[in-house]
Amino acid sequence: MPSSRFPIPQGTLDMLILRILSLGPGHGYGIAQRLQQVSRDAIQVNQGSLYPALHRLEEKGWLRAEWRESETGREAKFYSLTPAGRKQLEVEKESWNRLATAVRLIFAEGG
Amino acid sequence: MSKLLNLLPWIRRRKERELERELRYHLDRRVDELRAAGVSEADARRRAAHEFGGVAQVQEAVRDVWIHRWLDDLGRDVRYAIRGLARRPGFTATALLSLALGIGASTAILSQVDQLLLRRLPVHEPGRLVQLAWVGNSLSATWGGGHLLSYPLCRELETRAELFDGVLCRAPTTVSLSTGSERQPVRAELVSGSYFEVLGVAPELGRLLDRSDDREPGGQPVAVLSHAYWQSRLGGAPDVVGSRVLVDDRPVTVVGIAPARFVGLDPLAPTALWLPAMATPQVAPLERGWDRVLDRRAAWLHVIARLAPDVSMEEARRALRPWFRATLDADTRRPGFPAVAPDERRAFLASTLDVLPAARGMSSLRGALERPLLVVAGGTLLLLLLSSLNVGGLLLARGAARRGELATRMAMGASRRRVAGQLLVESSLLALGGGVLGLLAAPVLSRVLLSLLTWSDDLRPHVDLRTLLLALLASALAAALCGLAPVLHTGRVSLIASLREQSRSATRGGVALRKALVVGQLALTLLLLTGAGLFVQSLARLHANVGFDGRGLALFSLDPASIGHDQARAERAMREVLRRVREIPGVTGAAVANTTMLTGGWSTRRLTIQADERIVPDRPVPYMRVGADFFRTLGAPVVAGRDFDARDVRAPGEAPRPWRSAIVNESFVRRYLGGRSPVGHRLGVGAQPGTATDIEIVGVVRDFSRRSLRDEDVPQVFFPYWDHDSGDGAFYVRVRGAPESAFAAIRAAVAQVDPALPVSSLRTYADQVDRATWTERALARLVTAFGVTALLLSIVGLYGVMSFVVTQRRRELGVRLALGATRPAAVWLVVRDAVLMIGAGTAIALPAAWALGRLVEAQLYGIRAVAAPTIAAASGALALAALVAALVPAWRAASTSPTEALRLE
Repeated sequence: MPSSRFPIPQGTLDMLILRILSLGPGHGYGIAQRLQQVSRDAIQVNQGSLYPALHRLEEKGWLRAEWRESETGREAKFYSLTPAGRKQLEVEKESWNRLATAVRLIFAEGG
Repeated sequence: MSKLLNLLPWIRRRKERELERELRYHLDRRVDELRAAGVSEADARRRAAHEFGGVAQVQEAVRDVWIHRWLDDLGRDVRYAIRGLARRPGFTATALLSLALGIGASTAILSQVDQLLLRRLPVHEPGRLVQLAWVGNSLSATWGGGHLLSYPLCRELETRAELFDGVLCRAPTTVSLSTGSERQPVRAELVSGSYFEVLGVAPELGRLLDRSDDREPGGQPVAVLSHAYWQSRLGGAPDVVGSRVLVDDRPVTVVGIAPARFVGLDPLAPTALWLPAMATPQVAPLERGWDRVLDRRAAWLHVIARLAPDVSMEEARRALRPWFRATLDADTRRPGFPAVAPDERRAFLASTLDVLPAARGMSSLRGALERPLLVVAGGTLLLLLLSSLNVGGLLLARGAARRGELATRMAMGASRRRVAGQLLVESSLLALGGGVLGLLAAPVLSRVLLSLLTWSDDLRPHVDLRTLLLALLASALAAALCGLAPVLHTGRVSLIASLREQSRSATRGGVALRKALVVGQLALTLLLLTGAGLFVQSLARLHANVGFDGRGLALFSLDPASIGHDQARAERAMREVLRRVREIPGVTGAAVANTTMLTGGWSTRRLTIQADERIVPDRPVPYMRVGADFFRTLGAPVVAGRDFDARDVRAPGEAPRPWRSAIVNESFVRRYLGGRSPVGHRLGVGAQPGTATDIEIVGVVRDFSRRSLRDEDVPQVFFPYWDHDSGDGAFYVRVRGAPESAFAAIRAAVAQVDPALPVSSLRTYADQVDRATWTERALARLVTAFGVTALLLSIVGLYGVMSFVVTQRRRELGVRLALGATRPAAVWLVVRDAVLMIGAGTAIALPAAWALGRLVEAQLYGIRAVAAPTIAAASGALALAALVAALVPAWRAASTSPTEALRLE
């Protein structure tokens, strides 16, 4: 079953996390679920690999984290976007779009 | 800063705990979800863990993120800081030099303080060693300095075994030691047989001196050599034990070698040779024919005891009192006890023995250097404080100037902590650089300090590793504090406010702090300047105390007995040298005396004066034996009566005779004769009722400094040199022109008399004065250097603040000038600030300066210094220099045209 899903492309995970958090704060488990839902289970995320990415983004100052009560009533670490993170998301979206357009063009020409 | 703090273990632990909690939350949620879907608990756990990919691995990956990030930040901060520092070489150099000077100087000085003042003797339990000191009138003749006791008393103290685990005595001396062809003067210690045993020192080779070597006078004398002498002069030859050496040309058998780390009881004057005290008359008499080892009224030894384990110094002091009283009482009934006046006898019987700590041994040099070093250490600390204030001020100014930059970086998304951490990295770099430079400078400064303070060869420049670490630590702390001020400042920066302010320069808060720093600097500077003034003034006073014109005067010493001349031959040589020196062209006068002056020592005698009534001076009077023409050669006027002349010189070949004439100084006349002319009165040597007074006072000479330049109002008596045995002495030669010009001729004259006779201490009298004031001159130079450095530092500080203030107020000044204010009025507007700072600094320092003056007056020199004019002069100099530093930027600001000033906005 796992083989039917995409392995996530290198460096894309950061962008996806920023995108998901741009809709509102979330904890690691929530982000993982959201990722599955939004991509309609097409993307395979090794759930553990989410956390180094989250910490990296936090250290870079794009995310900030705080502990607060989650929907189950238990304390969870919630991440949210900083202004710098919001800017970074724009930058990544822009470059992703350019790359995707370029790739599409190349395939269209070759097709 | 947060990145730096991540290194701290408790913060790391907190982060680890949070991570674990975060991951557990994830897994628990997944397990709950799966169980809700009907999976069993065990299966759910397994699946969740599998999907997660291993908790330990994830934790490791997150840790990598942290560390990578931290190293990344640090590297970037360091690079950024280096670039920033390199962009401002002036700032960087000033800060680095200030720190290097502070660290280097304090390391050098504290190392010396440790070496000279604090270190204990390398012997068994030095803390239990005490010195016994006579308090009161001992009615004794003395040889040497410090607290001196007699040999019999030392041996009797040994019987107090309930108080002491042993008692030893020692006297430092200098002998000429010949081993093989080598012959040189070395330091020796004359010691009791108990010496090494009480100290707990074991031999390196052979055996050390013991009680059997010190049983009675005479016998076959033995000696122990120091490890250093053995190694350097004898090549460490193992057959040294049992060999013969010559001590002052008398054969002595070497029985052993002392261990390397033990150099005697004076750690600052290493001993080459130890001799039994009993052998003193035979091997190393303290003066010609000296034989008073068993004399109870001959004080020449330092007595050291080891306290029994449970006896305190106070207990020993108390327990000794009745015993000592009985000993004194017995003394008075012994045959040979001097017949003295009843009140003197009472003073003698009231004497006590004091018990003093002796863990650090006894050093005359330490005594001489203790205060100077403490003064220097104090000055250095002040200077260190001053340079730290400067670095602090510099960093503050830099912080203020960079507020715009910092605010912009924060607006770009850098966290406040990130920016603060970056500033801290910068100041840490400065501290590290300053520390390394200071480390390089410390040995050099140490050497300079020693060469300034003493000419002793026995002190090695020395940098103590612990002290260096301490100084490094202190500098790191200083830099952290210096860095902290701007960091705190930055921490408070409100973004909007900063950006708004950026065009209009920094806040009042930073300026107020910098002004406070400058006020502190000015106060410290005033203190150092006052100190410098007091030292220079004291030095001038000391020079004035010489008492005659020392220019054109040369002196040298001869000791024919040291090359084996007998008494008659030695005397012939002395007379012949004097005759030949007088014939040297350019020499206008020459005289001989028994000693060199200004060496810090003298001999004293009890005297009886027969004027209209019989007067017994209350204390022994210092005396000196001088030849004919002595006072004329010195240029010390004989104010009444006559100088010694041919009548007072014993003819060659005539037997030595008692003194028949004497000259006294003015202080003697003032003190003992109430100012009446003593010429024609008679003196006797001794203070007993039967003392014959058959010495005629033939003249009175003006006071001059004889022992040291500190001696004021000291009664002195002079006897003819040639009456007694006169086999050695010092020659005083007055030369037309520079005394150095006669040195070659003097050497030639001595060589003609006896080519083998060594000329020692050939130097000008000015040199002798310089030697006598060596420490004082060094201190005056050092403190003056401190003062000037301090002045420069605080003027730089003041100039910096004033330039800053002026830049801030340029617009205001422009408006005022445009509205018709005169230029002086505008200048005053700015300078008023400086005047306030100078005033505040002076006001703060004045009480301390006054106290310093009192301290110097009372203790440092033992001569009166007048503090008030010095303080006034120092304040004046400071105010003047500071005003100039303030006027320059003020005048420049007031010189810009109003339109230009307004356009600056």
